[in-house]
Amino acid sequence: MKKIKAMVLTGYGLNCDYETHYCLELAGAESERVHINQIIFRTQEESNVLDPYHILVFCGGFSWGDDHGAGVLMASKLRHHLGDELIRFLEQGKLVLGICNGFQTLVNFGLLPGFHSDYTQRKVALTYNDTGNFIDIWVKVRINPDSPCIFTRGLEEVELPVRHGEGKFYAPEATLEQLIGNGQVVMQYALSNGEAAQGKWPENPNGSLYDVAGICDPTGRVFGLMPHPEAFNHYTNHPRWTYYKEGSRSDGTVSEPLKPQGIKIFQNAVKFVSSI
Amino acid sequence: MAARLEIRLKKHLFDAEGEGVRKKASQYFGIQLEGVRTIRVLTIDASLSPSQLERIRTEIFTNPVTEESSYSPTARDFDWIIWVGFRPGVRDTAGSTAVEAIEDLLGITFKPGEAVYTSKIYEIKGRIKKEEVEKVVKELLANELIQQWKIISPEDWNPANGIGFPVQKVELRHEPQVSTIAIDSDEQLRRLSVERNLALHDQDIPVIRAYFLRDDIREERKKVGLDLPTDVELEYISQARSDHCNHNTFKGLFHYRDLFTGEERDVDNLFRTCIEQPTLENMKQKDWVISVLWDNAGVGRFDNDYYYAITGETHNSPSNMEAYGGALTGIVGVYRDIMGTGKGAKLILGTYAYCVGHRDYSGPLKPHLHPRRLLDGVVEGVRDGGNKSGIPTPYGLLLFDDSFIGKCLVFVTAMGIMPALVAGEPSHKKTTSPGDLIVMCGGRVGKDGIHGVTAASEGYSQHTPAGHVQIGDPYTQKKMHDFLLEARDEGLIAFITDCGGGGLSSAVGESARFSNGARVDLDKVPLKYEGLDQWEIWVSESQERMIVAVKPEHLNRFMALSQKHAVESTVIGEYNDSGYLKLDYKGKTCAYIRMDFLQSDFPQWEFEAHWIPPDKRGLTEPVIAEPQDHGQLLKEMLSRPNICSRNWIARQYDHEVQGGSVIKPLVGRDLDIPSDAAVVRPILERTGGIVISQALNPHYSLIDTYHMTAATIDEAVRKVIAVGGDPEHLGGVDNFCWPSIQYDPEKNPDGKYKAAQLVRSNWALRDYCLAYGIPLLSGKDSMYIDGNVEGPFGERRKVSGLPTLLFTVSSVIEDITKCVTLDPKRSGELIYILGLTRNELGGGEFYQLMGHIGLNVPKVKAEEVLPLYKALARAISDGLVASCHAVGRGGLGVHLALMAMASGLGMEIDLDLVPREGPVKTFQLLYSESCGRFLVTVAPELKEKFEALLKALPFSLIGQVIPDPQLMVKADNGNTLINENIQNLKDSWLRPFGELI
Repeated sequence: MKKIKAMVLTGYGLNCDYETHYCLELAGAESERVHINQIIFRTQEESNVLDPYHILVFCGGFSWGDDHGAGVLMASKLRHHLGDELIRFLEQGKLVLGICNGFQTLVNFGLLPGFHSDYTQRKVALTYNDTGNFIDIWVKVRINPDSPCIFTRGLEEVELPVRHGEGKFYAPEATLEQLIGNGQVVMQYALSNGEAAQGKWPENPNGSLYDVAGICDPTGRVFGLMPHPEAFNHYTNHPRWTYYKEGSRSDGTVSEPLKPQGIKIFQNAVKFVSSI
Repeated sequence: MAARLEIRLKKHLFDAEGEGVRKKASQYFGIQLEGVRTIRVLTIDASLSPSQLERIRTEIFTNPVTEESSYSPTARDFDWIIWVGFRPGVRDTAGSTAVEAIEDLLGITFKPGEAVYTSKIYEIKGRIKKEEVEKVVKELLANELIQQWKIISPEDWNPANGIGFPVQKVELRHEPQVSTIAIDSDEQLRRLSVERNLALHDQDIPVIRAYFLRDDIREERKKVGLDLPTDVELEYISQARSDHCNHNTFKGLFHYRDLFTGEERDVDNLFRTCIEQPTLENMKQKDWVISVLWDNAGVGRFDNDYYYAITGETHNSPSNMEAYGGALTGIVGVYRDIMGTGKGAKLILGTYAYCVGHRDYSGPLKPHLHPRRLLDGVVEGVRDGGNKSGIPTPYGLLLFDDSFIGKCLVFVTAMGIMPALVAGEPSHKKTTSPGDLIVMCGGRVGKDGIHGVTAASEGYSQHTPAGHVQIGDPYTQKKMHDFLLEARDEGLIAFITDCGGGGLSSAVGESARFSNGARVDLDKVPLKYEGLDQWEIWVSESQERMIVAVKPEHLNRFMALSQKHAVESTVIGEYNDSGYLKLDYKGKTCAYIRMDFLQSDFPQWEFEAHWIPPDKRGLTEPVIAEPQDHGQLLKEMLSRPNICSRNWIARQYDHEVQGGSVIKPLVGRDLDIPSDAAVVRPILERTGGIVISQALNPHYSLIDTYHMTAATIDEAVRKVIAVGGDPEHLGGVDNFCWPSIQYDPEKNPDGKYKAAQLVRSNWALRDYCLAYGIPLLSGKDSMYIDGNVEGPFGERRKVSGLPTLLFTVSSVIEDITKCVTLDPKRSGELIYILGLTRNELGGGEFYQLMGHIGLNVPKVKAEEVLPLYKALARAISDGLVASCHAVGRGGLGVHLALMAMASGLGMEIDLDLVPREGPVKTFQLLYSESCGRFLVTVAPELKEKFEALLKALPFSLIGQVIPDPQLMVKADNGNTLINENIQNLKDSWLRPFGELI
């Protein structure tokens, strides 16, 4: 069987690398945590350093302390040292996932939204939550069935935690329309009934325009999202798991929320790579 | 010439930060602003070309989607401009990361002295007076201890120059020098100690003089070119002998006397008799205890392959002066304790507990920071410290009492995990050996934090030096954390400890005891700026540093890893077995002290401790007849500041990072009721969990600190058991915060009573740790929670905080899927109460509501409650329990309501069925705070199994969960006392701080 190799970047204040790595392994990938400098040092000695990998994950955290806008300095560093390698990686049909700080990095780098295969333009932004503060809360997101996104195939609704101070998705109107038109809006914050939150707080925890929680590039192979799928890697991560478990005990069934849905996003990635 | 870059959100975009300032100005001071916009300012004090400046502006610092920026002033259409920047020398992390980014993009290196400084402009719209603007600045936007500001009106605005070019550079223009200190007489040394702020203790002075006057010592010193003691040496001794480092109070001799009975007892060394001995005793039965009583944190066994580390700290004095910086520095500091435990542990969680004055305090005193502002700052400091470190903060406490207006309490606790073996060696063991290199990792050294330890050992006064206020830097520390774990796993760390209180003097001084000697080149220590005296380098508490002993053969690899992680590491000396600590500066010796000197016979501190039993102090039970409106009373109880929802704090803290969250800080149907304890799964591949809970009950100290302590230990234990913790594995952490116990007829007239309170508290600690089998894995004492606060007439009044013990309990759980939360799950579940209720409302919430203290403080009967705890733990592990909750502050009424609110379901309760001892009136049943009690719900089909486990123990079935969301409480033969809608109760509970986000 083909080995699916994934790389999770670490260092400089990133902090979700262990659990992201764990999820990739659970999903069947062979994952490696690689320090940003390790890969940059490697580029000085050899070319095409990303070639052995199939899935590249920008995980959550506070890269460079987020002092000059979340993900801004990380994007600058990567553009400067790894820009060509990243573009080449995408051209090879491989997958890039950005979670939280990783999503912020992707939009500041320009890998998202990647209109017309141009992966260098900053077109959208993730800015300060409308409340002005960091928030940790579980949200429900609805998945756009018409999106080309590889990572969300077969998913309709997912519950995941968000944990950020700068997660408000913003784009000028025309850009937003283009994203919607292309099916690039993958994930929207939703009410408990599954309908879009329409800005209602805290279901939409940050004031994101059009309740955007995650977008992909037009190919569906680059995906960025604010919620943390890697934080739902076991059913006991779910905030109401004791409630569902007591229900399971009395009626003997396993209820849907007890399935750690975060893993599916990683499984989809592995499945896609296995199929190409 | 410096360049000033101003960056702001585009005009049509919502400015959340500015809006926050507008709201607070209105809510806090009634100052109505029309609008506030913020501008980020970078002053680039480096020789960059115009094209380079333009490149960094567009490529790094301006988001083209949301921001606009300019090197010219961007302020427009304002009524006031406020500029706020740091004072020189205050840690400016954003300035440093800006330099990093610029150097990386342009491929340049900043020259010495070149830097980037960050600051902020607030563009204010609104017709307000200058005095009002000043109030907003001083009481909301800036703290003069660390920040400076300008207020500019449109008339004074120079559109070409704007705010000017703020460069907060430190220029000391000082040639470092060592001075010697005369020791002709005790009196002379005492005077010099005061003049130089050395804080040498009077009793120590003769011992110090005798040492330096000894012939053999003088002979030895002559050989290295020294004669009289140097300032470096005396600063070192002062740090090492401070109460903060040496725990002189806890090691003191207490002459305890009960003034009523006349009973007298001498208590020699509270630490040894009440902490060390019981812990050693408990360890005989508890083979899971791996390492205690010597390292930066205690170590317990998580499973066969992993150990956990735990410790707790306080950061009261700095937080009291600069809340954000103090709390941030505090939490990242306690993280370093874990990083420096054994050969280094990975952080897995942090917790907090804050004791502050009431948020709406409007009394006559004018503390340096109003409690509301102080709490805001402390909350934010721990938020940034935890979140930016990638360490979950899944648990915390908050307690309001105006006695904390003198000095607030900021407790921070941390846990870590490490493999039992690293590179084939036990992870919890470490030592320094002759030849090991002393490596300093992390931050650089500046003037910050000088005399922090000695300041923490004194009450707060207007003369307290502000120099020890710092702002922690979680970014730098997170990089170091990742680096050190990698170095540890490669077996490169022989010894590690953090540079905390006392700086290098403590870290090197203490680690050199293992090898019995060390030599340091102070001139090799990397500095933030030139001009520090040698003694300052030695005692500076500049943050984010660790000291590591590295074998010479490992140095290259160690440094390579350091470079990979972008962490600065420097060899500053080496350990040896010379028996001396020797400090050199550019080849010249400036300190030479025998290693055994600090272990020599310094006089023990002595305290008179006078106790008067509470009833002899005039405390009595209040006379209260049965309330008639129990529904309203319950709502009033639920909205009390120490009971109501404080969810806004927990929500700001990332409690999910690392992916192992099991029991979160807020639970229940709407995820808004505080959990008894937190549980995490530290090793993702395994199903074992770590449990932690904490308790504090300082109001019981008003009656008797013995029972305060017992109740606090019991509460923390019950909360751990309530979620499924193992009663055979209870690790304790004792954090004492006490007002000064040094009697002084003028400055501390009740010092003898406070000393007796401390003794009694320690007795309870000893008694209950032995009874419950709790080894004390770690602990700290923080004395002097007193402040001299300004009153309305220019007078200063001493305010002493209530004697407080924060007790933390850690436990493990073999299978996290057996954990339980406090919310009943299904209607029909049976509601049980475990434990006896007594007439014990003294010091509790109900009496506080009535304006009384009372006398009947809750007392813990260990032999009565422990079998119950074990039986309950068994029931939980057998899967028989649907929900479980420890009854704490506010008693049964409050905790039934919390459980019902968590479930969204109703409850039918018959108080007549509550097991009790002695006569207990109806309102007493509802609000007594008797210890040892749990509320449990059980599915009806499990009734028999559950009851069989509890046979012969005090418990009772008191009601059941009903679908109708009403809390219905009956008493006195079916008389309905309470019939309240759950949502109404919850509204009362949420209301006090409901607006805060």
